[in-house]
Amino acid sequence: MIYLDNAATSWPKPPSVMQAVHEAMTLPLGNPGRTHHRSALDAASLVSDCRESLAELFGIANPLRICFTANATDALNLAIKGALHPGDHAICSSMEHNSVWRPLTATATRGVELSIAQADAEGVVDPESVRRLLRPNTKLVAMIHASNVNGAIQPIAEVGRIVREHGALMLVDAAQSAGSLPIDVDAMAIDLLAFPGHKGLLGPQGTGGLYVRDGVELALLKEGGTGSESNSPLQPEFYPDRLESGTLNLPGIAGLAAAVRYLLSTGITNVAAHEAELAQRLLASLRAMPRVKLYSPQESSCRAPIIAFNIEGWDSTAVAQELERRADIACRPGIQCAGLAHRTLGTQDSGTVRLSPGPFTTDQEIDTALEAIAELPRRSSV
Amino acid sequence: MVWRLVVFASLNQVALLKRDLYRDGINLEMQRTPQSLSATGCSYALRCPDEQVGLLLERCRKFAIQPGGVFEETEAERNSQRRVFAGDELDQ
Repeated sequence: MIYLDNAATSWPKPPSVMQAVHEAMTLPLGNPGRTHHRSALDAASLVSDCRESLAELFGIANPLRICFTANATDALNLAIKGALHPGDHAICSSMEHNSVWRPLTATATRGVELSIAQADAEGVVDPESVRRLLRPNTKLVAMIHASNVNGAIQPIAEVGRIVREHGALMLVDAAQSAGSLPIDVDAMAIDLLAFPGHKGLLGPQGTGGLYVRDGVELALLKEGGTGSESNSPLQPEFYPDRLESGTLNLPGIAGLAAAVRYLLSTGITNVAAHEAELAQRLLASLRAMPRVKLYSPQESSCRAPIIAFNIEGWDSTAVAQELERRADIACRPGIQCAGLAHRTLGTQDSGTVRLSPGPFTTDQEIDTALEAIAELPRRSSV
Repeated sequence: MVWRLVVFASLNQVALLKRDLYRDGINLEMQRTPQSLSATGCSYALRCPDEQVGLLLERCRKFAIQPGGVFEETEAERNSQRRVFAGDELDQ
């Protein structure tokens, strides 16, 4: 299989990730924070290792401000519903995934006002358009770092500075950028960072996290056992226990720790350069094909390794199915759970075909994919 | 040697401190706090030679961690401790 669906979930994973998950399932690994024996304490050390590695990757000074979640959607819901209260105003971009758009829309039914900063034709938001939308009661600006539809990178650092000057919170959805693009929460003025573990970070599915800047208060979506302050009926005030009720996904976190260590040793800039080169080759070759329409930003520096296209006369799903049938290519057609972004790009009815190479995609695989795609415009749609 | 037991609310805090000090060549023992010293319910502690308590408290400040208290082991048996500092008496 030629796997070009890394934006949905990355594959393959580094061998060290599989090894770490295997060990977490085979060696005695207890429930961290629940008891005294060595296997439980070892488990706590493993969890801390993962938190510390993530902190290093994202420039977070205090690893205890990272809370594990099941995925980025969980983290985004914690942040959005925890930060916003009736009477607040929130802003998002018109390129958001449903994991931001839907919870924000849900808060609107509970008295939160929502404004949308319109992106340009390539899907990029002008930071000044965010400034113009700010109000005295603006509490939160939520923005996707890189679009899962066409890869467009938003100017997070510029928007972050504007938001911080205003005194609101900056929430970044790093679903497509964590592990694929450099992120520094201080330099980018990020207050809340939501990330999945299983995409660019190369960890197992069922992992993710939320960084909460020191001093940011979030209302809770759940309470429960944390292994701390157990005589109290109230949730602990301190992090990460405050947001981490219930048993953690230890095998997943073990795999994620190994994955982040792999990325730290490889270097995010090296990973990003490899993926950008492959995406640029895809874009340049697709641009030269007849009847192919592209939707991703032309400039490599404005784009995560995601290329969106359609072929005139072809349904996007039919293209993806044909690529699988002809060359065993795995990609993703349709709306990609991002109706708002597709509306921005004018593809809400057709959807698009999305190609997303990863750190282990080879030049040969890109060549084969391009050859298979080049055949399609010459044929009628199936 | 005088040993102290520095008590924390959460194993997340203890694990981070232990690993941070270990990187500097200091290997402290992580353990569950005796229930008699754990005023808020379950908690965890680092067992620490007296001369390293200051360094440990420095790391607590680095990570904005408030210890629950420092106890001294008063006998050779490790199940007998007396309070040295309460958490709110520590310089945070």
